[in-house]
Amino acid sequence: MKKKNIEYLISLFLSIFAALVIGAFIMWANGRNPIVGFAALIKGAIGSKYNIATTLAKTVPLILTGLATSISFRSGIFNIGGEGQLYLGAFGAALVGISLVNLPGLVGIPLALLVSAIAGGLYALLPAILKVRYNIDEVIVTIMLNTVAVLLTGYLVNYPFASDVGKLGATEVIGEGYQLSRLVRLSTLNTSIFYVIVITIIMYYLLERTSIGYEIKMIGQNPDFSRYGGINVKRRMIFAMVVSGVLCGIAGAFEVLGVHYRFLQHISPGYAWDGMLIALIVKNNPLGVVLMSLFFGALKTGSISMENATGIPSELIAVIQSIIILFIAGEAGFKSKIKGFFARKDGRKKVGEKNA
Amino acid sequence: MAEKLIELKNITKKFPGVLANDSINLDIEKGEIHAIVGENGAGKSTLMKILYGLYQPTSGQIYFKGQPVEIKSPLDAIKLGIGMVHQHFMLVPSFTVAENIVLGVEPRKSKIFADYNKAVKITEELSREYSLKVDPHAKVESLSVGIQQRIEILKVLHKGADIIILDEPTAVLTPQETEELFRVIRRLVDKLGKTVIIITHKLQEVLALSDRVSVMRQGKMVGTLMTKDANERILAEMMVGREVLFEDLEKKEVARKEVLRAENLQARDNRGLLALKGVSFSLYSGEILGIAGVEGNGQSELLEVLAGLRQVEKGTITINGNEAANKDPLEIRELGLSHIPEDRLSTGLSVEATITENMLLGSHRKEPYAKRGIHLNRKKIRERTDRLIKEYDVRTPSQDVVAGNLSGGNMQKMVIAREFSFDSDILIIAQPTRGVDIGAIEFIHKEIIQKRNEGAAILLVSADLDEIFRLSDRIITIYEGQITGEFLSKEITKNEIGLYMTGKHKDLSQGGA
Amino acid sequence: MLKEIINLTLLQHTIRTATPLILAALGGLLTQHAGILNIGMEGMILLGAFFGVVGSYFFGSSLAGTLLAVAVGIVVGLLFAYFVIDLKSDEFIIGIAINMLAGGLTIFLLRSIFGVKGAFSSPDIVPLPRFSVGFLEGIPLLDTLFNNHTVFVYVSWLLVALIYVYLYKTPHGIWLRAAGEFPDALETAGVSPRKMKYISSILCGVFCGFAGVHLSLGYLTLFTENMSANRGFIAMAAIIFGGAHPVKTFIAALMFGFFDALGIRLQVVGIPSQFTQMIPYLGTIVVLFIVAKNLLRKKKKAIEGESYNE
Repeated sequence: MKKKNIEYLISLFLSIFAALVIGAFIMWANGRNPIVGFAALIKGAIGSKYNIATTLAKTVPLILTGLATSISFRSGIFNIGGEGQLYLGAFGAALVGISLVNLPGLVGIPLALLVSAIAGGLYALLPAILKVRYNIDEVIVTIMLNTVAVLLTGYLVNYPFASDVGKLGATEVIGEGYQLSRLVRLSTLNTSIFYVIVITIIMYYLLERTSIGYEIKMIGQNPDFSRYGGINVKRRMIFAMVVSGVLCGIAGAFEVLGVHYRFLQHISPGYAWDGMLIALIVKNNPLGVVLMSLFFGALKTGSISMENATGIPSELIAVIQSIIILFIAGEAGFKSKIKGFFARKDGRKKVGEKNA
Repeated sequence: MAEKLIELKNITKKFPGVLANDSINLDIEKGEIHAIVGENGAGKSTLMKILYGLYQPTSGQIYFKGQPVEIKSPLDAIKLGIGMVHQHFMLVPSFTVAENIVLGVEPRKSKIFADYNKAVKITEELSREYSLKVDPHAKVESLSVGIQQRIEILKVLHKGADIIILDEPTAVLTPQETEELFRVIRRLVDKLGKTVIIITHKLQEVLALSDRVSVMRQGKMVGTLMTKDANERILAEMMVGREVLFEDLEKKEVARKEVLRAENLQARDNRGLLALKGVSFSLYSGEILGIAGVEGNGQSELLEVLAGLRQVEKGTITINGNEAANKDPLEIRELGLSHIPEDRLSTGLSVEATITENMLLGSHRKEPYAKRGIHLNRKKIRERTDRLIKEYDVRTPSQDVVAGNLSGGNMQKMVIAREFSFDSDILIIAQPTRGVDIGAIEFIHKEIIQKRNEGAAILLVSADLDEIFRLSDRIITIYEGQITGEFLSKEITKNEIGLYMTGKHKDLSQGGA
Repeated sequence: MLKEIINLTLLQHTIRTATPLILAALGGLLTQHAGILNIGMEGMILLGAFFGVVGSYFFGSSLAGTLLAVAVGIVVGLLFAYFVIDLKSDEFIIGIAINMLAGGLTIFLLRSIFGVKGAFSSPDIVPLPRFSVGFLEGIPLLDTLFNNHTVFVYVSWLLVALIYVYLYKTPHGIWLRAAGEFPDALETAGVSPRKMKYISSILCGVFCGFAGVHLSLGYLTLFTENMSANRGFIAMAAIIFGGAHPVKTFIAALMFGFFDALGIRLQVVGIPSQFTQMIPYLGTIVVLFIVAKNLLRKKKKAIEGESYNE
């Protein structure tokens, strides 16, 4: 393993550790015993078959949106629109599931996934085209499109496709053939986890072992170099963005097919944002995404038990997560600050350093 | 003896991994024009940035009028009366000329408001006082480089500078603009008692303008001498550190065949201005064709056009009999052209990628490195990389090292290794040894000659005329986007070439006729 | 029915709903001019709203609430600036992290301080005082429109003018713009761009704090989870819409406030409001598109123009 990676792993563990310490401090300041709190958290995350299943269930959307972020960020085009693509994908799957109710699962599920993939992919295609053709900042466009998608599906689910049973902000339940079976009693863990394993392997292979993955990586690092070397930069960027959208769309589909069995107006509590942070933390490494998703999933699951056992609000986890991301985002800066501290007299970084 | 205005004593500046200035001593006298010369990377700019407070020296002391001073920021330098005109102009593009000139020292009304009318008046007065014409209301982004430089000088003067540092001021100027600049500098010194420090690597300019000249080499100060005691040969020797003598390169006779032909090429630069105004030439196998020209006369655009990186507006390119104008880079590479770009850091490599990854570009879809163009065969890739590292003497502990951690010379060898490994018929090589240490230069030159002897057609662009003369069989000169002459390299001298590079050959022939 | 929707109340609501957008957008346009895209405004507003309630509830004064929100705004602004400017972290990652932190932290504190989930309301939260301009009171139309608002409504209008003057008429504002457009130029002119960027970020935190207080202590005195409800992003949209010009951004924010208010009215009468709510977001994309196209056309024109000259 490369020295750089080891250095980064150390920073990563330090960041997580520091964030957990801050979490402990917050617990303590709240008059709770941090040890009891963390013990409850760990127990809640992996203490029983049910808990492990719940942790795994929570990782499904995180892995998918994390991988989606990885491929787009690697190629240097930033898809912040995962949430919107997820909503459209989820609605697409639900639409199939409530329209063709009697389709058998063998046909229905792939069809629903296909529709959600197309919905998510197309929704990512628009900002990608605006980016490569008109050089319009994809970050802003995708942020805006997020809300548009949430509003649009919100309209659809409250008006044309509203469930007959009152104003729920939900569609009818999808046909039984579409419902992915649950794996562990009471938990929402379902067969989507197997799909996710397959998707992860494909994505890992694509990103790490193929010429396409190589091209994507090079484009993200230096688009001029890539173009000079004969890579079709624009086409690859669009490809990366669309794949990213497809993955988010599928993440939405699994929420419908595996968890809720219907589309809900607020079906995602921000999975795509979590997935994005996960990818950022592990620097877009696909295997890292899986591990970090498991970690975040465990935190989320465990936090509920922690709340029940100790009364510490489970949102503490969100605070810890955002502190981790702050540390990681500042990692390079912190490192150079620390190095600067030891080499005090070295120059400040200033105007046109490159010309030195 | 004149008063010593500034003394730098034992100034050392370390950057991570680089010793940019190594105990430099330098003194500047009041009312002189002091030139500082040296090759790229000799540490001239760093030294001046220290004097202007943009960098802090790692050790050493600056004295101003005999007193030790600490210059912690440009503000301190400004207070001492030191001003700097940077190589890349420090002007805010969307601001007007007047706004730029008073930036940081805006005149005020009622203490809190910026007084724009007064700024305009100040600009007009400055403009009159120093006879430098500018339009106070014009936006900087719409002005030519020459005018922008004028604004920079006015800005510095407005801040009350008595000592003006000019960093490579002529690099981007036309000959006329250069002459004009020199007149301005002379007037500032002779009439207004200013002191000027000018950084350059153009020796003729030094001799024409300065009173004294200091030479730097690889971060060290070689020496200071009166300009009247200097000549180009002496300075060049001091800059390079020895008599500029390389061993002769053996050029074999190889069968010549036209492999690339450009006809009436026209293309624009990044600002949309016509940079190539009808360029035609042919390139033959087994030869090195050198393109000599002052930087910014269309060489960069020409190379980019040939490599498919820039749009051709008019004209044709034929590579091995195929039409190649406006093909994309991949298609052109497949027609048999490889390219070593002039800016290796921004185009030639990815600093974040490992050597393996950098060397893979261009082979990453080819058998046996990619099965069916998709599946990367790591073993084969690593074998190839190891082979190239050895063959091209890239000094690195392993191929997993990130390119950004290599020295300039090793980066360049990596780029050359990759491009030469394709065994293309045509090689476009730009600035092959810029910022490369002497040992590596020799190696790179030999590799280039070897390619030529094997029958490759090589187009060489270099800012270093010596390099052009040493390597080329044939030389064409380019000036303002047009080819001004074509010569066999053994039949022409550097001085003559110089005339063609600056468009002055016409005066000659007209005078003769 | 149209009368039910479009009436004086709608305009009055527009003024009310536009105010937090205006405040946040003014803060964001300062960082924008200083060269920082701040997508953490959403979180900054949320924190302002929450700490406004905290201050008001515990100290029994809306001023205390405002001051606490401002203090928190300053801290978050500093945090943002430290990461983005000194640690050179990616500004949008830090923005997202701040949004996430604000979301989690406010809910966490809501539960650990007040022991409630979802929303907190109490008669002990002192609302912001309402202001009226004396001479308008007699005039029927203007009275309803412009009177009886919180102080921040008037503050936001005042700030539009102040920021305009600041950015374009004072040296300090000019430096701020220079710091964003070409920091090296400012640095070599002896002014620290870092300082200017810090100032813009802190001011953004403060203004977002105002926006939050207006939300939670203005017309309804309560805090609810995620009460910023995308206003930070709409503010960003307004900045883009208005080309970061204070007056144009103000108009854009008013317009978006109008659509927001309209959406609420539509919902009341049972018409889907989602499409009016989409307008700011879609509008921003359209504006970006038009700007980009114009840029291309300009470039083309410049080239053609030059060819004619030859």
